Amino acid sequence: MLVKIGDWLDERFSWREVWEAVFMRKVPHVNWFYTLGSATLFVAIMQGVTGILLTLYYVPTPDHAYDSVVYITTQLPFGWLIRGLHHWGASATVVLTVLHLLRVFYFGAYKYPREATWITGVILLLVVIGFGFTGYLLPWDQKSFWATTVGTQIAGLAPFVGDWILRIARGGRDISAVTLARFFGTHVWILPATLAALIGIHLYLVIRIGITAVPKKDE
Amino acid sequence: MNEQEKKKYLDEYKKEKEKGVPFFPDIIFKDTIAALLIFIILAALAYFVGAPLEARANPADTTYTPRPEWYFLFLFQALKYFPGKLEVIGAMVLPGLFILLLILLPFIDRSPKRHFLNRPFASISAFVVVAGILFLTIASVREAPPPQEAIVVDNAAALYAANCANCHGPGIDVPPGTDLHQIIAAGTHEGMPAWGGDLSTDEIDALAGFILSPKGSALFTQYCSVCHQQPVIASGNPVELQRVFDEGVNYPPHKDVQTANWNETVTEAEINGLLNFLAAPDGQRLFVINCSGCHGQGVGYNGTEEELTELIKKGGQHLDMPAWKGTLSEKDMDALSSYVVDPGQNPGGGTLFGQHCASCHGDKVPKAPDKQSALKIISSGGAHITMPVWGDILTAEQLDALVKYTFEASKGGGPAVGANLFAENCSDCHGKSGQGGPNPALSGDTIAPISSSEYLKTRNDATIRNIISFGQPDFGMSPFGAENGGPLDDDQLDAIVAFIRNWESNPPAEAPSASADVQVPTPTVAQPSLTGAQLFGIACASCHGSSGEGGVGPAFNIKEFQSGRDDQALFATISNGHTATPMVAWGDNLSFSQIELLVGFIRTLDPDYAASLIYSGRVSAIFEENCQACHNPQKIRGGWDSTSYQSSMTSGDNAPVIIPGNAADSLLAQSILGLGSQMPPIGSLSPSDIQVILDWIAAGAPEN
Repeated sequence: MLVKIGDWLDERFSWREVWEAVFMRKVPHVNWFYTLGSATLFVAIMQGVTGILLTLYYVPTPDHAYDSVVYITTQLPFGWLIRGLHHWGASATVVLTVLHLLRVFYFGAYKYPREATWITGVILLLVVIGFGFTGYLLPWDQKSFWATTVGTQIAGLAPFVGDWILRIARGGRDISAVTLARFFGTHVWILPATLAALIGIHLYLVIRIGITAVPKKDE
Repeated sequence: MNEQEKKKYLDEYKKEKEKGVPFFPDIIFKDTIAALLIFIILAALAYFVGAPLEARANPADTTYTPRPEWYFLFLFQALKYFPGKLEVIGAMVLPGLFILLLILLPFIDRSPKRHFLNRPFASISAFVVVAGILFLTIASVREAPPPQEAIVVDNAAALYAANCANCHGPGIDVPPGTDLHQIIAAGTHEGMPAWGGDLSTDEIDALAGFILSPKGSALFTQYCSVCHQQPVIASGNPVELQRVFDEGVNYPPHKDVQTANWNETVTEAEINGLLNFLAAPDGQRLFVINCSGCHGQGVGYNGTEEELTELIKKGGQHLDMPAWKGTLSEKDMDALSSYVVDPGQNPGGGTLFGQHCASCHGDKVPKAPDKQSALKIISSGGAHITMPVWGDILTAEQLDALVKYTFEASKGGGPAVGANLFAENCSDCHGKSGQGGPNPALSGDTIAPISSSEYLKTRNDATIRNIISFGQPDFGMSPFGAENGGPLDDDQLDAIVAFIRNWESNPPAEAPSASADVQVPTPTVAQPSLTGAQLFGIACASCHGSSGEGGVGPAFNIKEFQSGRDDQALFATISNGHTATPMVAWGDNLSFSQIELLVGFIRTLDPDYAASLIYSGRVSAIFEENCQACHNPQKIRGGWDSTSYQSSMTSGDNAPVIIPGNAADSLLAQSILGLGSQMPPIGSLSPSDIQVILDWIAAGAPEN
């Protein structure tokens, strides 16, 4: 029966071809360092899931942001777990992305023919940092407020356009409701869309070209 | 890499692949294990450490030391090495170049070598960068450790450490029933300074609570300080506090905020600790908060301490009021019932009240809606007002302290003694509530208020005691201390000082309006700003009706409303609003003086107001209270004698001072409005009193 359904679906989706290409492809013998990439992907997906759950309760206004975070942490069943995973997952994403980058660097995996994979990877690192920076303000506690004040100030140091960048980031002279709305919008719409697109390209390239073999001494 | 090298690499890679393993399941298995491991670590962090949350963002708090998330710390630290104008290099140029370098890496390093030992420059550079980032991060953490512990601070403990620990060590063992608040504020005992001048009432309360229940303070920090800031503690009212624990999440003020279910999550012992911290078992404070609403400053009590304990504990069924019918004459009962309906207009009842009622009612005159019901209650007696069952509300320690205090005070300690001494010795010159007045000993001099918080904050008890004891010969105040030839012994001096100090936390009901720039109503003379009537039209009329006939809000033009509350209560309601009703807290939008104007105007809506505009009604009472100290036949200032209708209308150096029907030209009206020489010299009358005088003159200044 299952086979029949599989056949029927295959006639329409050719999923067996995709399965062969993606999962049955041969891969060189690799070591545990090669799990860093997929681990990063796993944490990114976990951030997406917990993030979506958080938006169900989180309110991005200065009046309610802090209270809603307190509510999520103290009242909501398993809210502490969801917020805890998201909080620590943020750090984990940064750590894993950097470790993955170092693995790729030391194994010479950015070289021909994987230059494009490397470049999308570097941009992904910037997106991850962007996630960290915008997400930090959202709990609207002392730490997030003042860290963002300083962070946006630093952005304002840029020559000529600094003031302009500062005003765009904050949505005005000071950190306000507009800033919170902007950071929230960036954190849950702009960055995730960018991330999804880049991960798509990155994975397509990984599957198409294949992962590097561990370089030999004479290579 | 040239074409040949490229081809060679691809060929070799193909061979590697063929020797390799399928992605599924071999690689997927490894990836799954790694992912699972990471998930377990993250879940453990979430469970054991949790996601931190500091206090709500406070843009006004510039003392906060901002710190970025840890993975930005290295950048933060790097900025420190680029001071001033160079900052842009550390903040922008270097990170920008570094990212550019990362992106362009595959095009910069185009050698075919892959093993890291075969490309030492790249390997070492990357190592240096990573080491540098680690070094900067560690340096940043070490230079300024993240202020994690600052998140929850036991402020009461900090207050204790700063002010008390030097002499008292880590804690003080206080015998039950001690007036801790009083001791801290007045510093009565050996060598201890009076903290009343340095610490606010809230802070003293917090200290007393901490000393008696350090555990409660810690629990408060743990459970409550997220929302309630110490030492401005949530509430000192045991009735409210008990409700929080009884009603849990249903407690109305907690309904809209997310709090834990306090009645389930906190143990009995913890509740007791918290209650003892929030409402310290301090007899005097507990009496002021819980009892003085009905009993004034003290009760007379003749029984034993055990009986008093039972009385307070059981509440409800406490001492029934005796049926006065038979004991008192019809005339006396009549005078008394008029007095309790409106003490201001029936001053004659005061003496009777003092004789028969004050031993239980203290100086608090119970409010009766009308004379008929007052007469009924007085003649039949019985349990007319139910005392709360304090045994259910107070903790054992609090009850003990309250009983001890009440018992001691009833025997003639505490503020009641001070109040009597003050009335006997001081109030002739300083006024009943220390509001001051013209100096009888020094013509042209005015005695400033001594009950204002400014005055009390800036003088400690020793200073006040010295002033009383030594007098102020330059200003005509004779020495009162026995050692200086005065009538008062040391205990009596202390009692008066304690009574005066008490004003700081409990300002007298008729607080003198100290500020001279208070706007006063001027219905018939010049109008510098909005009048009470105009304010009423803007703020109140839409709910209470344009002439106070009521609507969404209660009506003002009925006797029940007007006699049901004094000016102070009316002021408080306007200023603070009513949480249970749509009544707004006008204090946010109206100034102090504007609310006073409103109170004055609302009083004119009293149906009996027009009838009270006669000399024998409210006017003589106002004169007696405010003018007769200087304008009497013996001490006839400005030639004006205000003690009788006849003399008020005819005497005076510029007689007549009252021109019936013409308030604008009447000297009296001008004086009380501060247009000529300000009268009374110590500060304006209350707006409602000014309104009465102006309207009385405008109505032709009738005698009866």
